[in-house]
Amino acid sequence: MNKFKTLALVLFSSTALLVTSCSKDNETPEPVAADLTVNTVADLDGSKDAVYYSLSTNTQVTGDDITAGKWDLKFSTTKISVNGGTSGTGTTQAQVVNSTFADLTTAPADGYKTDAADVGAIAGWYKYTSETVPQHAILAIPGKIIVIKTSDGKYAKLEMISYYKGNPDTTTPIFADADNRETITPSRYYTFRFAYQANGSTSLK
Amino acid sequence: MKYIFFCMLIALTINAQAQHADTLSTDTSKSKKLKEVVVTATRTNKTLMQVPMPVTTISNKEIKNRGLVRLNEILNEQTGLSVLPDAHGQGIQIQGFSPDYTMIMLDGLPLIGRTTGILDLSRITTNNIEKIEIVKGPVSSLYGSEAMAGVINIISATPPVGASGSISTRYGTNKNADISLNGAYATQRLSLSGFVNRYSSSGYTLVPESGSATVSPFYGYTLNGTLGYKFSDRTQIKFQVRDYTSTADNNFLVDNDRITGDGTEKTLNASAGLTHRFSDKFTGDVRLYHAGYSTKSLLINNTDNSVYDETFFDQNFNRAELQGDYKIINSLRFTGGVGGQDESVKATRYNDKKTFQSGYAYGQADWTPLKKLDIILGGRFDAHSVYRSQFSPKLAASYQFSDKFVLLASTGKGYKAPDFRQLYLNFTNAIVGYSVFGYEEAATELKKLQDQGQIQAVLIDPATLQRLNAESSTAYNFGFRYKPFTGVMWTVNIFRNNIRDLIDSQPIAIKTNGQSVFSYFNIHDVYTQGAETDISYNFLTHWTVAGGMQYLEAYDQSVLDQIKAGQVFGTDQATRETVKIKKSQYGGLLNRSKYMANARIAYQDDKTGIIASLRAIYRGRYGFSDVDGNGIVNRDDEYVKGYVLFNASVSKLFLNNQLRLQVTGDNIGNYKNPGAISNLAGRLVYAGVTYNFSKQQ
Repeated sequence: MNKFKTLALVLFSSTALLVTSCSKDNETPEPVAADLTVNTVADLDGSKDAVYYSLSTNTQVTGDDITAGKWDLKFSTTKISVNGGTSGTGTTQAQVVNSTFADLTTAPADGYKTDAADVGAIAGWYKYTSETVPQHAILAIPGKIIVIKTSDGKYAKLEMISYYKGNPDTTTPIFADADNRETITPSRYYTFRFAYQANGSTSLK
Repeated sequence: MKYIFFCMLIALTINAQAQHADTLSTDTSKSKKLKEVVVTATRTNKTLMQVPMPVTTISNKEIKNRGLVRLNEILNEQTGLSVLPDAHGQGIQIQGFSPDYTMIMLDGLPLIGRTTGILDLSRITTNNIEKIEIVKGPVSSLYGSEAMAGVINIISATPPVGASGSISTRYGTNKNADISLNGAYATQRLSLSGFVNRYSSSGYTLVPESGSATVSPFYGYTLNGTLGYKFSDRTQIKFQVRDYTSTADNNFLVDNDRITGDGTEKTLNASAGLTHRFSDKFTGDVRLYHAGYSTKSLLINNTDNSVYDETFFDQNFNRAELQGDYKIINSLRFTGGVGGQDESVKATRYNDKKTFQSGYAYGQADWTPLKKLDIILGGRFDAHSVYRSQFSPKLAASYQFSDKFVLLASTGKGYKAPDFRQLYLNFTNAIVGYSVFGYEEAATELKKLQDQGQIQAVLIDPATLQRLNAESSTAYNFGFRYKPFTGVMWTVNIFRNNIRDLIDSQPIAIKTNGQSVFSYFNIHDVYTQGAETDISYNFLTHWTVAGGMQYLEAYDQSVLDQIKAGQVFGTDQATRETVKIKKSQYGGLLNRSKYMANARIAYQDDKTGIIASLRAIYRGRYGFSDVDGNGIVNRDDEYVKGYVLFNASVSKLFLNNQLRLQVTGDNIGNYKNPGAISNLAGRLVYAGVTYNFSKQQ
């Protein structure tokens, strides 16, 4: 249901952008390019161990498939690694672009990096609140769109939404209560949405 | 008499008047006010109507009539000023500048003792004040560092000839008590005066379930002594010593552990001045000044009697200064001076004793080429042992179209030196694990951490850093003073401050524990601009109505540039979707209200001795926090709602004005916002009785 909602929202907002001057009657939904799939992943559980994900199959990767390198992204606490460089056997690359999920309609031609020992390809997607309310929380920074070039040369864009189970509203007093946060909304449950372009083009529309 | 004693018993208060019979003179004579002389803007006496910078004065009489005993209380009622709530004390915002950028002076000498840039105004008693002068806009051309947003100068009262004395107390909500004893003796030559003031409170708790007080109980003493002697009409000396000691009884909860302990704060100011008039044209001054500020606290964890935190801070400031004032011709007057300063600090969070030396010279020409035109050109050069030298020029002019209308314009540069914290701090948060190093310490301390294997990655090599520069601003002020008809005074000032090189912390390395190492950089360019206006009207002999407001915009230039480039994003409050931030959504710098206003109605009848006033102070909504993680204010839930405070006071004078009974109500509407505004304790009601005597010779 969540997926459907997001899809509908993307459809609606892109349509709205294109045809704002149109009247409601002749409004026809602009179809999403056939090969682009948009998905929302809710509460991917990385609370016990690192969790691996495949963008092409939109599924979590486990067991032997991990060693076989059938994954694109690895989530381990706040660190998101790509299957490449120092993190994996593949050649996956990524970069973080300042935009919104809707506005980023074409993947950049260059600027991709893979993971290196001192610095990962995906950095700066979150902020640690430290002493400011909600204290000691990890919050996704709005407008940080992760663009991924997978090992087989396919492009995807991904937006991190939440680091906590149930994608809680982080502005509430309940969430602000740092002492009980792990009990109510445990961390390392990843909620994100992504669009995967299967046809190998840079189009993410 | 019975009635009076009854009152005293009930209210446990005596609130006396230091100034002899000053409550009698009405505040209604505006012509008097126009001839009023101010000193702070030019370091020379000038009439308030003519001085070409925005200056406001608050008389002792006005402070007493409103029943306000601490500096923060009176300043919060002034147009364009707001007293900000902060854990480190109550500081003042002028023209959108943080408290760090306003110099607070006692008789023209700067007060020291700031914690994270804030000089706590509640330290300063309003006892024994003649008046307070507030100059807006930079006055670094005369006073150097810190006088960037403006200057607040507290001018002490001079005792009348004869023996005089007074006792004054105010008592009320939260066991808030303020007691002053004043004594003075003066002849034509000698003037000797002193006072003791005790200020205490049981504190208050806005969030009782936290188990911690918002303000802990405290008591503080101010001791002040002044000695003046006129050797002749030409030569006089003056000595002044003031000591303030305050003790807070801390008691709070951390993770269910009860933490208790005393914190003390001390300030000492001592000055000596000699003035000699060499001729009708030339006067010279020499001044020596020492100021000290120290804090000490020892906090004990009551669960296991371990030391939770132990800190000390010791700061010393010494200055010698020579000033000359030379009237070259009647229309041209030159004021100049040279001085040297020595400063030192020793504290828990600094490696060892740190010292600063600086020297300065300033000059100012006050030229009246036409009777109606007054031009002031001045500048000051500061040479410093640690940061780059500064030159602060100033140009100001006033044109008096008539007795009723004066136009004024000024421009100048202000600066604020990097403080000890920005240069020398060496702090690691024991609980979270991040570190902050001052600019001068960054390289060595980072190297130490690297050697200990605590550094994962260096983001900025300290060796590549530019020397930390002073923060500076260029300001423009333009306005008028207008007295359209008797009893009305209207002032307007439009301002713009371009502020460069604001210092902020930024990560320079990542530790292996994932936390950052911060140091200080000249990062931001911001600007503040706006307008303020004040109008007052006296009518039917006894009545005054007055009002003022300020409109303010305060923005970070780099954020505006990023918004223009479409690079700033936020989260929509309702849908929680990521959205691009437009300029209209950017709320500017935190803690700045776009709109502030105040209104006042006052009544004074000398025959019956009844004085009353009601004041309303409005502070418009202001940015408070960043909820959606983009570092700026852009959502409604990132603001503190606007609010109005109502303050009132009623006095009745008896026995030839020697005795005053007063009731004061602060925040009568009982407005509170526990989550965001820590200095609003709710409704405060005080009662006071005042008694003063004087024996003329």
